[in-house]
Amino acid sequence: MALAGTTTALAVLLSLAPAALGGQVTQASIAWVPALDLNASLFLDPLGFLFAGLILGIGLLVMIYARSYLGRCEDWGRFFVVLLLFQGAMLGIVLSNNVLLLVVFWELTSLTSFLLIGYWGERAESRRGARMALVVTGAGGLSLLGGLLMLGSIAGSYELTEILGQREAIQASPLYLPSLLLILGGCFTKSAQFPFHFWLPQAMAAPTPVSAYLHSATMVKAGVFLLARLWPVLAGTEEWFVIVASAGLVTMVLGAAVALFQDDLKGLLAYSTVSHLGLLTMLLGFGTPEAAIVAVLHIINHAAFKAALFMNAGIVDHETGTRNFRHLGGLMGLMPIAGMLALLAGASMAGLPPFGGFLSKELMLEEAAHTVWGGSDWVVPALATLGAALSVAYSLRYVGHVYFGPQVSTPKPAHDAPLGLWGPSAVLVAVAVLAGIIPQTLLGSLVSAVAGAVTGGPAPYLSLKLWHGVTPALLLSLLAVGLGLMAFGAVGALSRLRPPLPEARRIFDATLDGAVRGSRQLTQAIHAPSLQRTLAALFAVAVALAAAAWTGGEPVTGGRAQISASFPAVVVWLALLAATTAVVALHRQRFLALVLISVVGLGVSLGFVHLSAPDLALTQISVEVVTILLMLLALNLLPKDSPPLDQAPRRWKDAALALAGGGAAGLGAWAILTRGADTALPDYYWANAYPGGGGTNVVNVILVDFRGFDTFGEIIVLGIAGLAIFALLDTTARGAAGRRLARWAEGLPQSPERHPMMLVVASRLMLPLAIVVGIFLFLRGHNSPGGGFIAGLVFSIALLVQYMASGWDWTQQRRRLPDYALIGSGILAAALTGLGAVLLGLPFLTTGFDYFTLPVVGEFELATAMLFDTGVALTVVGAVLMALAQLARAAQRAEQEPTNREPMDIDPSREGAAP
Amino acid sequence: MSLEFLVASAVAALTAAGIYLTLRARTFSVVLGLAMLSYAVNVFLFATGRLSVDRPPIFDKAAEGYTDPLPQALVLTAIVISFGMTALVVVLSLRSYLETGTDQVDGRRDGPEDGA
Amino acid sequence: MNHLLIAPILLPALMAPILLLALRFRLGAARAVSLLSTAALLGFALVLVAQAATGRVESYALGDWPAPFGIVLVLDRLSALMVCLTALLAMLVLWHAVATGLDKRGWHFHPLFQFQLLGLNGAFLTGDLFNLFVFFEVLLIASYGLMLHGQGPARLKAGIHYVVVNLVGSTLFLIALGLLYGSTGTLNMADMAERVAAATPDDRGLIAAGAAVLTVVFALKAAVVPLHLWLPVTYASTSAPAAALFAILTKVGVYALVRSGTLIFPDGPDAVSSPAAYGLLPAALLTVVVGFVGMLASHHLREMAAYAVLGSTGTLLASAALFEPMPLAATLYYLPHSTFSTAALFLLADLVARRRAGYGDALAAGPSFAGAGGLGILFFLAALAAAGLPPLSGFVGKLLILDAVRVSPAWPWIWGTILMTTLIGVLALARAGSVLFWNRRDGEPIASPEPLGRVAGPVAGLLLALAALTLFAGPAADYARATADQLARPMSYVEAVLGPGE
Repeated sequence: MALAGTTTALAVLLSLAPAALGGQVTQASIAWVPALDLNASLFLDPLGFLFAGLILGIGLLVMIYARSYLGRCEDWGRFFVVLLLFQGAMLGIVLSNNVLLLVVFWELTSLTSFLLIGYWGERAESRRGARMALVVTGAGGLSLLGGLLMLGSIAGSYELTEILGQREAIQASPLYLPSLLLILGGCFTKSAQFPFHFWLPQAMAAPTPVSAYLHSATMVKAGVFLLARLWPVLAGTEEWFVIVASAGLVTMVLGAAVALFQDDLKGLLAYSTVSHLGLLTMLLGFGTPEAAIVAVLHIINHAAFKAALFMNAGIVDHETGTRNFRHLGGLMGLMPIAGMLALLAGASMAGLPPFGGFLSKELMLEEAAHTVWGGSDWVVPALATLGAALSVAYSLRYVGHVYFGPQVSTPKPAHDAPLGLWGPSAVLVAVAVLAGIIPQTLLGSLVSAVAGAVTGGPAPYLSLKLWHGVTPALLLSLLAVGLGLMAFGAVGALSRLRPPLPEARRIFDATLDGAVRGSRQLTQAIHAPSLQRTLAALFAVAVALAAAAWTGGEPVTGGRAQISASFPAVVVWLALLAATTAVVALHRQRFLALVLISVVGLGVSLGFVHLSAPDLALTQISVEVVTILLMLLALNLLPKDSPPLDQAPRRWKDAALALAGGGAAGLGAWAILTRGADTALPDYYWANAYPGGGGTNVVNVILVDFRGFDTFGEIIVLGIAGLAIFALLDTTARGAAGRRLARWAEGLPQSPERHPMMLVVASRLMLPLAIVVGIFLFLRGHNSPGGGFIAGLVFSIALLVQYMASGWDWTQQRRRLPDYALIGSGILAAALTGLGAVLLGLPFLTTGFDYFTLPVVGEFELATAMLFDTGVALTVVGAVLMALAQLARAAQRAEQEPTNREPMDIDPSREGAAP
Repeated sequence: MSLEFLVASAVAALTAAGIYLTLRARTFSVVLGLAMLSYAVNVFLFATGRLSVDRPPIFDKAAEGYTDPLPQALVLTAIVISFGMTALVVVLSLRSYLETGTDQVDGRRDGPEDGA
Repeated sequence: MNHLLIAPILLPALMAPILLLALRFRLGAARAVSLLSTAALLGFALVLVAQAATGRVESYALGDWPAPFGIVLVLDRLSALMVCLTALLAMLVLWHAVATGLDKRGWHFHPLFQFQLLGLNGAFLTGDLFNLFVFFEVLLIASYGLMLHGQGPARLKAGIHYVVVNLVGSTLFLIALGLLYGSTGTLNMADMAERVAAATPDDRGLIAAGAAVLTVVFALKAAVVPLHLWLPVTYASTSAPAAALFAILTKVGVYALVRSGTLIFPDGPDAVSSPAAYGLLPAALLTVVVGFVGMLASHHLREMAAYAVLGSTGTLLASAALFEPMPLAATLYYLPHSTFSTAALFLLADLVARRRAGYGDALAAGPSFAGAGGLGILFFLAALAAAGLPPLSGFVGKLLILDAVRVSPAWPWIWGTILMTTLIGVLALARAGSVLFWNRRDGEPIASPEPLGRVAGPVAGLLLALAALTLFAGPAADYARATADQLARPMSYVEAVLGPGE
């Protein structure tokens, strides 16, 4: 499948060859995100054609090779799927006509590379190599993204063909340098340029076909490709030359030097790849068309010999069981085919005539020879020659050490590999050889077409032949071979001389570990769970922003006439302040604090009465009762004392924050109270409550009609609270909580009369009375203070008294409707009332009312709002009982009370019950 | 002293007390603080309708004036919601105490080092 | 009068009590009803999106009282988008909860779930600020219930923080409402927008203070630094499906910030007060950093997902905080992505934990476990999404954001932050993935509790949603752009609510 796909793609590509090389650009575009100018837009020009050919051609060979390389037990499917994904992504890079699309594919190659390097994920080195490659190339991709976005914003388009036409605008822009740096960040990481080269050798943990394909022939060339692609708009400036050429030069020399001392075959090849990528980068960095053409030529040569050598290393590994130079030697006799192939490919890598590598190296030295760097005309040629010399040396080491010299016994008895393994590399070697012998025929037109595409103009003529006469390049080349032979002879001595360089990989690992440690420390420091800190931040931010917002300078006090306070008002105010202060001062004495806070609540209610809000006062006081009851029940089970936890400085800090917050709220209230009000809304409510809403209690009409939807939400909140409380308390008797409750119960003094008669009798008498009061409050709510909520609370309190008097089980058994059903039916009633209107074609919650006359009762009103209010009352009763009854039950379970069948412990009406 | 001053200063005092108490380290104090904040905010919200004495918003053609009924309705809604929330937080802190054996807000135990 | 506007609220409002009354003890039927109801909700939501996509803003006057006296629901592109997003997420999360049997582990899961949806939909649709408060409370208290569902000491401890912090937040919300009602005399958002624009100098201070406190409240919901401290512990200690659903909760904060910042307090030369003025941008950037750094620091996959919520919300707000049409459009494209991708991480964490037995979702090597391969692929895709790498929508979203924020002089900061944190995210997720799925400790392979296919559907569904968002990025981005344009010209909203201007 994979082979068929790749072959087909290759065939299609070749069919487009005449067009592509003839200067015709094939384009295809599908709109993807037009808003972003990100389109699935592809084009095929000579440069794209060259790379696509490399990707598909070598891909085909690698897949054939991989079939033989991977053992039968390996996970074939996964391997080929990811490899094909990679191939697709790589093709995407070279064919993209949209720079954003290019980044998409770019990152995809990083991701697939991650998966391929980590193919043997159970090995630690694979995981590390994969992660390192992902982080380095992924980071580069993000940098590239930044750079290309800048480039696009200068050019006004993300289409590559648009961007390429805007050299002047781009190089004149102040964003040129930042975008250049960011783009180079992407190219250098992908193409393993110093100082980002260290991930490539680590990536050798991948299966060898992957190394041959991704890490020598294709993916690592993506950076070089992009340098070539953007060469017309980015190259030619001083910055470009200094950064790109220098990075390439350093990488070339350094990579070659390190390669020489590798003990691992793939390690040597990896560093050699780094070095050759450096060479390519340097050539592109020179910024001259001639150098660019040489780069194109070397891309082809390098792809051929390096992929062949990787496959060769794989064969050695596969057939001998080791890749370590120490355990290899003299294999020529045992593996003649592999040996011959290695010899030819190695000679090309060393740059020896008559192979392709010689050709491109000669031309490279020629270019280097007349390049001036930093005012010096010898630095570049000298270093380039040194690089070439080292290249000779490590090529010799590879071929000489593995295939010649004394035979060494290997972990597996060595013999030649099957055709499936050596065949693909033979094809590549043939290319490498022919590229040297008949360069013009084989590559001439391709190279000049590609070079034209890279330089964005007609390419200067390049003479592709082996003999150019005695040129400076030839002399340098000879020097390089000589030096290389010497270096090879002195590898042992040199390796002892080699200064211990800091290894980039270790620095990277240390940085990463440091980053994780640092992030943990930081996260722990910020997020250590602390409610106090969370709330302090909230209060502080709110106060600070509100204060900052008040910037207008207008006086806080407005011009509205104030009402002078009566004496009783001042007394209540003083009592309120005193109680508030006392709560703060005495909050650790929990029971007392509860008593005091109910005084505060009472004061607030009195205030509401005084200030024309009877409904509020009634509600506040009844909620107060239920809340205090609830807190008492809870306090029963909570520790009664609370030793202080905070040190004085924290208390002072909190006090300051509290005063600031209090001050801000007080000033806000003052500012509002002293300003005139806009009365459009109250006027409307006042005018429409009776005629439109059918009630004279405007507050109640707002609640059940004008803003009935709020009330609808409100009872849902209450209902959910009941459900949540039930869920919380239902399991209290189990586990740790149950044990704690049991221990708690043991320490309690038990009253002999748990359900005292007087209380029971009183509660029974009160029940009907309370229900009557509730109904009364409910019915009159629409016209006078009252309503469903208050009525619901009154019912609840009456029922709660029953619980208190006679215990949970007895009362529970006599209840027809469970609490959750009350909640459910309450909400349902309210919702259905609202829905009724919808069925009549009116909006949700539209009310209707009419007046009826009955004998005796007289005229009375029925409004759908009352139905709604019934829902409110039901939900309130359900939720309150759920909360309090469940809490009471938890306490009761703790006391391990026996279930009482009778309403009273001492029942005078029962025979023989008297003590 | 004006009524406006009494109300504004009461809001300030209740808010300050509420903030201080919610910043304490034990759940019970936090619950008290939340109750205080709820009083404060109810009064504050009520105050946005401005103050008037003896003008309840009960419609009567003879009434010479009326106070803004809307804030009252809002406060009623707010009271109910905060009642539901308070009930939940009380039960939650109780349940958490029973489960973990500590009533500190961050679930730390009272030990010799921080019990001072 | 388009009754469809009330449907997303009414449907769960009817279903929840029915589930409570009739199906409390019949799990099978309750599951069916709950799933069907959520599917119906999704259907309604899609119709609403289609209606909103015409560009017309519709309002629905509850109780037939005209705005600003009654409460209105308003359907525009933004609210339709949010409702649709909620329904889709809810559908998949509910499926996961049912498939993994979470709903059996405590009381009232299904009613609470429906109530949660009710609260969310109400918050997105309402056009009244106090009503928004009420729906905030509904969705919060339902979230308390869901958050505590299943219980356990850690959950209870975290629950106290979550509940108390949000109660204080509600208090602040009321204070903000008081300041705004006291100064503008209205609660209707459209009406308030007009009155804010016409405010006298005398009232400006109060309005600005109210807007500031309101911004703080919304920023608390969105978990913006430094108001984010409650989120990691809450999301990391609740059940995974609850956390996955909560992926939309922070978006309520984002929604409210965007709504108030464009409608009521638009930025402009003589703006009274705009959220943009309160350092929202630097705070959002810090949130991004804190979130992604937290991902790198995480010891558990669920904790990592919780920090991913912070990071992605921060990313959203970094762009939204500019309150310009283009960045806003980018935000609105990224919003569904951020929701689905973080939800997928939570659900995956749950699947991993179920399969690794005692090792749970800890980021430590364990023995090989059944279904690691399939789960690994799902994780890889979810990780791509969460980090914002291609080919999934996270990358497109980040591209849109990076492209759009160039309108702001602060763009280098935003670019730097987003690109750097993406890298941190990649690192964190690569570490997590390689330790969970590659690194094997010797030991008996752990047998599977159930076939992966039976429980992986919802995660796959979320990933499919992301794939669709990627594939149809063009139309999605266009919808987002049209939404942002609609938000930038609030007149159509105001007219839909209050009628044509006099």
